[in-house]
Amino acid sequence: MIPTWYAIVSLMLILYVAFDGRNFGAGMLHPFVARTPEERRQVVAAIGPLWSWHEVWLVGFGGTLVAVFPRLIATAFAGYYLALFLILWCLILRGVSIEVGGHINDRLWQGFWDFVFIFSSFLLAVLFGAAAGNVARGVPLDANGDFSMAFFTNFNVRGNVGLLDWYTLSVAIFAVVLLAAHGAIYLMLKTEGAVHDRSASYARYLWVAAVPLFVAISLESWLVRPAVPAHALSNPLSWLGLLLVVASAIALISGLSTRHEMRAFLGSNFLVAGLLVIGSVAIFPVMLYSTLAPQNSLTAYAVASNHRSLLLASFWWPVGFALATTYYIFISRRYAGKVRLKRENQGSY
Amino acid sequence: MNSNLTDPAFWSRFQFGFTVIYHYLFPQLTMGLVWFLVYWKWRALRTGDDKYNKAVRFWAKIFGLNFAVGVVTGIPMEFQFGTNWAGFSRYAGSVVGQTLAMEGMFAFFMESAFIGALIWGEKRLGPRYHFLAAIGVALGSWLSGFFIIVTNAFMQHPVGYRVEADGLLGIASFSAYLFNPWAWVQFAHNQMAALVTGAFVVTAIGAFYVLRRLHPAQAQIYLQAGALTALVASVLVAIPTGDWQAKMVAHHQPVTLAAMEGKFVGGSRAGVAMIGQPNVAARRLDNPIEFPGALSFLAYGTFEGYVHGLDEFPPNAWPDNIELLYYSFHLMITLGTIFILLMAYANFQNWRKRLTSDTWLLWVLMLAFPFPYIANTLGWMTAELGRQPWLLYGIFRTSAGYSKVVSSGDTIFTLIGFIGLYFVLGLLFLFLVGREIVLGPDEEAAVDSRARVLAAQVKE
Repeated sequence: MIPTWYAIVSLMLILYVAFDGRNFGAGMLHPFVARTPEERRQVVAAIGPLWSWHEVWLVGFGGTLVAVFPRLIATAFAGYYLALFLILWCLILRGVSIEVGGHINDRLWQGFWDFVFIFSSFLLAVLFGAAAGNVARGVPLDANGDFSMAFFTNFNVRGNVGLLDWYTLSVAIFAVVLLAAHGAIYLMLKTEGAVHDRSASYARYLWVAAVPLFVAISLESWLVRPAVPAHALSNPLSWLGLLLVVASAIALISGLSTRHEMRAFLGSNFLVAGLLVIGSVAIFPVMLYSTLAPQNSLTAYAVASNHRSLLLASFWWPVGFALATTYYIFISRRYAGKVRLKRENQGSY
Repeated sequence: MNSNLTDPAFWSRFQFGFTVIYHYLFPQLTMGLVWFLVYWKWRALRTGDDKYNKAVRFWAKIFGLNFAVGVVTGIPMEFQFGTNWAGFSRYAGSVVGQTLAMEGMFAFFMESAFIGALIWGEKRLGPRYHFLAAIGVALGSWLSGFFIIVTNAFMQHPVGYRVEADGLLGIASFSAYLFNPWAWVQFAHNQMAALVTGAFVVTAIGAFYVLRRLHPAQAQIYLQAGALTALVASVLVAIPTGDWQAKMVAHHQPVTLAAMEGKFVGGSRAGVAMIGQPNVAARRLDNPIEFPGALSFLAYGTFEGYVHGLDEFPPNAWPDNIELLYYSFHLMITLGTIFILLMAYANFQNWRKRLTSDTWLLWVLMLAFPFPYIANTLGWMTAELGRQPWLLYGIFRTSAGYSKVVSSGDTIFTLIGFIGLYFVLGLLFLFLVGREIVLGPDEEAAVDSRARVLAAQVKE
């Protein structure tokens, strides 16, 4: 039951990163691929109608964690206190900038909100990247199973660590490049004209840049927590994740070179998902690793709810998941194809 | 509330109270307004009269702004369960987490899938699917309210739980938890109150346009639909739902009832204070003017009913801010009564066909819209201050629930951040909503101004 729930919450987080990650990417690329006010509206319209649906995966992930891993929420959210509030504030600014930018067709107004959109998207990519780095590296859990972490301490990866150090920063850089590449593919799929062409060319460069960065953080992970890559290699599920990454990479490359944009887009999504599958398989069952003493680490088994609560959640969760998927398919079919700014007033988004 | 400012629990409470009060200014409007959108969309489908579509287009913009601020200010609420209330999450997460997660899975996905389509998608979807989108948003927003109120009802009146071997709470009976009688009463009371807010806002804008002699056909629809809904909802907030709620408090939280009413000494034929200031140090109500017997009657259905006084309970079981609790409750009741009288008169004038010509009444209706927001806030303050000093009534104290590892310095920092961010967000919201109201429901004018700017931009 507990491994199943670990897989479910991982799935929710993976869906969040794949869905909202492309919005962060589109946000960061905004100033580079769109140069006129009208082109900028095209970018916003491309992510407009469903951004809050994407964000709900994060909310759903949080709520589900409270239900199935309450002690993880209690420890990790209190421990990551300041970082989480930074994420929340960025999410507020990001949402507001998407919603209100289109309300007034004015150069200054839209320029300001475009800036807020770019800035908050970038910071979100950095913060989520650093968060992923923290999960891999571990946090200073004490013998009571609590921690309280500063933004930075001595930038080292052992002992009394902070949110940012050389390792988590390099994961953050990788996340920025990866999500920007993912967003570029999405913009290529959803836009036409100059924005489309620029996005397609950025997508190529960014995906190429992501490869050496991935190799670098993999090697770094080996240094930081040698047990994790070793554990990944011995687990057949992570090989399955690797297979997914390779297959997606092939789809992405062939999609880009033959201009099958949907194929490239699906490849991009599954590539991001595959990387996260490998990551979540590699660390299981440890959910919070202690950099102070390994025996303080919290496993999924130690932080899970009692069996009855998990069983109860397994009844309603699949129903909710099926419904959520149905709404998504219904709405995204209505918005299929390239965004059409003027004809349908979508520029207001 | 604990006045010891160095106590970290105080700052976590302050931050949660501030962010939740601010957040709830927005959902209370959307949960009320959404049924107007559904109704007008349905009328447009049935009659083919475009004035209803016009009304939907106009209100959808205001709805969208409220919805967006509601979404972005709502996410911090869920996160604070972990960041600031780790003790509580650890102890009761297996139970309250169920409904928090269900809110995401069942309500938010539904709302967020349809909201974009409702606001901007009229052409992409066509009239039937657009109507469906309105229903999706309406159901989603009420479902979200329901799950949150089930969670809150568990905190007010815990049922369906058991203590597990590890000392933490678990679910004993999910149906008892979900069908907590407190939840259904509170949900009915709260949703009617949200309808009051929505209806007062719709009425106020109608009155504003009549007074400015603008958009007469639209103003007529808003005024009539708004005033009628406001009357019905205002009555339902009081009777039966408010009455049920009071009896529920009297039964399960007698000490809270005593504090709400400033009853320091128990007795039968207990009165309701019309005026009076609680003096907790002296344990009496100063300058009281009371309706004799009214409280006994309201709480127990008979004038002879015995109402417990605070003196019958140990002081460590008293709500820790009796004064604020007392005023919240009394002001809420006073406002609710005024709403019923005002809207009864407005509908009377409408029946006499004088609603649009009664200038005095229109002025009052136009200026009355902030008060339902105040009354809703006071209602929640009554519920939450009345629950103190417990997080889970009778089983888990607030002082045990906050995050021990988070320092006051951290919480004050984030509180300052929220105050600053929310102040700016409030200004922005008022500016944009005000602008939509001034532009008005006449699309030609509004679209013209938009199209002109867009054309100018394209030329560049």
